[in-house]
Amino acid sequence: MESEAKKSSGKHKWRKVAYGGMQPGYDDNYTDDSFLEGMVMNANVVKRDLFKVMLDSVSISQYLCIAALVVIVWIQTLHSVIDEISLLSLDAGLLGLGFLIILLTTSQLSFHLFLHYLMKISFFISGLYILAPVYHTLTRSISSDSIWALSVSLLLIHLFLHDFSGYTIRPPGAKNNPTLASNISLNASIIASVLIASRLPSRLHVFALMLFSLQVFLFAPLVTFCIKKYSFWLHLWFSFILMSMTLSIIFVMHRMLFVLLLALIVFISIVCPYWLIQIQEYKFEINGPWDEAKLCFEITE
Amino acid sequence: MDEPQRHRILMVSDFFYPNFGGVESHIYYLSQCLIKLGHKVVVTTHAYGNRSGVRYMTGGLKVYYIPWRPFLMQNTLPTFYGTLPIIRTILIRERISVVHGHQAFSTLCHEALMHARTMGYKAVFTDHSLYRFADVGSIHMNKVLQFTLADIDQAICVSHTSKENTVLRSGIDPEKVFVIPNAVDTAMFTPAPKRLCYDEIVIVVISRLVYRKGADLLVEVIPEVCRLNPNVRFVIGGDGLKRVRLEEMREKYSLQDRVEMLGAVPHAQVRSVLVSGHIFLNSSLTEAFCIAILEAASCGLLTVSTRVGGVPEVLPDDMIVLAEPTPVDMTRAIKEAIEMLPNINPQAMHDRVKKLYSWQDVAKRTEVVYDRALLCSDVSLLQRLPRYLKCGPWAGKLFCLVMMINFWLWQLLQFWQPSKSIEEVPDILILENEDNEICGKLRMP
Repeated sequence: MESEAKKSSGKHKWRKVAYGGMQPGYDDNYTDDSFLEGMVMNANVVKRDLFKVMLDSVSISQYLCIAALVVIVWIQTLHSVIDEISLLSLDAGLLGLGFLIILLTTSQLSFHLFLHYLMKISFFISGLYILAPVYHTLTRSISSDSIWALSVSLLLIHLFLHDFSGYTIRPPGAKNNPTLASNISLNASIIASVLIASRLPSRLHVFALMLFSLQVFLFAPLVTFCIKKYSFWLHLWFSFILMSMTLSIIFVMHRMLFVLLLALIVFISIVCPYWLIQIQEYKFEINGPWDEAKLCFEITE
Repeated sequence: MDEPQRHRILMVSDFFYPNFGGVESHIYYLSQCLIKLGHKVVVTTHAYGNRSGVRYMTGGLKVYYIPWRPFLMQNTLPTFYGTLPIIRTILIRERISVVHGHQAFSTLCHEALMHARTMGYKAVFTDHSLYRFADVGSIHMNKVLQFTLADIDQAICVSHTSKENTVLRSGIDPEKVFVIPNAVDTAMFTPAPKRLCYDEIVIVVISRLVYRKGADLLVEVIPEVCRLNPNVRFVIGGDGLKRVRLEEMREKYSLQDRVEMLGAVPHAQVRSVLVSGHIFLNSSLTEAFCIAILEAASCGLLTVSTRVGGVPEVLPDDMIVLAEPTPVDMTRAIKEAIEMLPNINPQAMHDRVKKLYSWQDVAKRTEVVYDRALLCSDVSLLQRLPRYLKCGPWAGKLFCLVMMINFWLWQLLQFWQPSKSIEEVPDILILENEDNEICGKLRMP
């Protein structure tokens, strides 16, 4: 049939139009050489660099270590290795350090902003102190095994949904709000800390541990985000120090867990980036005239 | 053999009257013209409200409203096998030879085509819309389309762009895909008897006011056009989520006396709105064919449209001004159209559209597709299964399983209610005598 069409093409050239009925000399199922001419393949595909992906994955390993450190503190407090006074001083130290980093790395350094933060933090701490007795007796009727199982699964949910590239609370000057997934992740971590805190012997213990976990889960992503935005090299150094610290502490505590964590970090920062680069070649993106047009301006609702 | 073959066609789609839109009118007009050509046409759709059972429409077009309720966007709940008994009964009762499904997101259409293939009927499918390839919804829709088209006899698309899209989405052989555009009922869309004066230029927009139809583009374009051309007035017909934004725009730029918002326009009144204007503006972001442009052109309006999908194929270049979907280019195109306006003769435009498009022509071309479908050889289930297997490593096996279960269910139905026990209906021959009175005559099989 194509040859037939070619014979008659001298008289009448096929055109890509729908009007005017059937085109003389061509059947309706005629497929011209120009068929799929407008198709563009893999136009928007970004070429990824293995080294860059590996560097980006450091954020994930870093947060994993932070979470591991929190769990270590939880366990040591439950085993009464850390008493409430040292826990409280740890809280105060972390709070001061976090503040310092945010104030140093954020360009909008002002007394007003500082006061604003101070107010919020004091409300937060007094609220937590008032609620500590409630948390203390919250899960008295539940067995410790269930609490541990629940906490572990909540922590896994937290790590799985955590927004490693962004922040769970909005840093000053950021445009976008955190996503739904990162909010769910934050809530999971808070419930896990409440559950663990409710196993502790005294109200002061509960308050100190809750404050510690909330500080870390709420503000650690913000602090690391600020550091990363300020200087990428600082971020890398900070991450490596944090990782080696965590690994050495775990090495002293438990050999098996050390091996596991080390393997996980290697998997995340070397195997996964390599894997990602490998599966890039299966990427197949098609664009063409049938695509929905994208608007070139912002829609302000 | 010279006598043209009489087909007995079953049109299946979730979308039919009392719903209104491109697919609905396509099925209606195509059926009417096929009946005039001497074929038998039966339409099957789901129940609309209390409209359930068998109805007759103009020219003796029989419509089965099968008692399934729509659950989302006028679609029936996909059950795979739920519709097998009733579709089988309709196919046997009406002695159907070709099943013709319409619209890729109609579940009833996909199910009916699957049953038709299982029972060995010839299947034809018409695709009316364009899909993307990247988002989750489209990926799944495309898989369903691949399943339906894997074993189809012939397929029809409404434009060449739509054909490219369908072939890419389903991996079907391009030789099997016919391009037969929509048409317009030119008798219904006639220009205004008197030519409008050009002191004030009226631009008409009739579309659903939603994102896909480019309502956001209108919000940007209208104030700019009004600023540049003090003698331009807009008439906007249609309703939708973005209507609020257009009304906000009208307030913000104090254009209340220059932008008229009509709300939803019933299909019967579309012509009266169209003939009140000089220029028709279509701002769609995606469109496989766009019947609205044809209706406007048939009413003698000059069209300004975004250059998306199949729109550039619809009209010759001197009847339409195309623009990129950006506010700047749209404004430029409208300006160009206003300058062209004095040279446009609405009656001549109407006559040209009449020559370019007619449903009779569409029906004749569709007839060819049916003839081709009937020429395809009959194949058994075992020969058809490999076609499904080719659809993908996992999907292929799943599709095969679905087809095998459907085959067994069909065998079970054959045993439970043999074809012989289903009564075949006599055909009604509608004859138009000289006085244009319609009288029915029974013809026994």
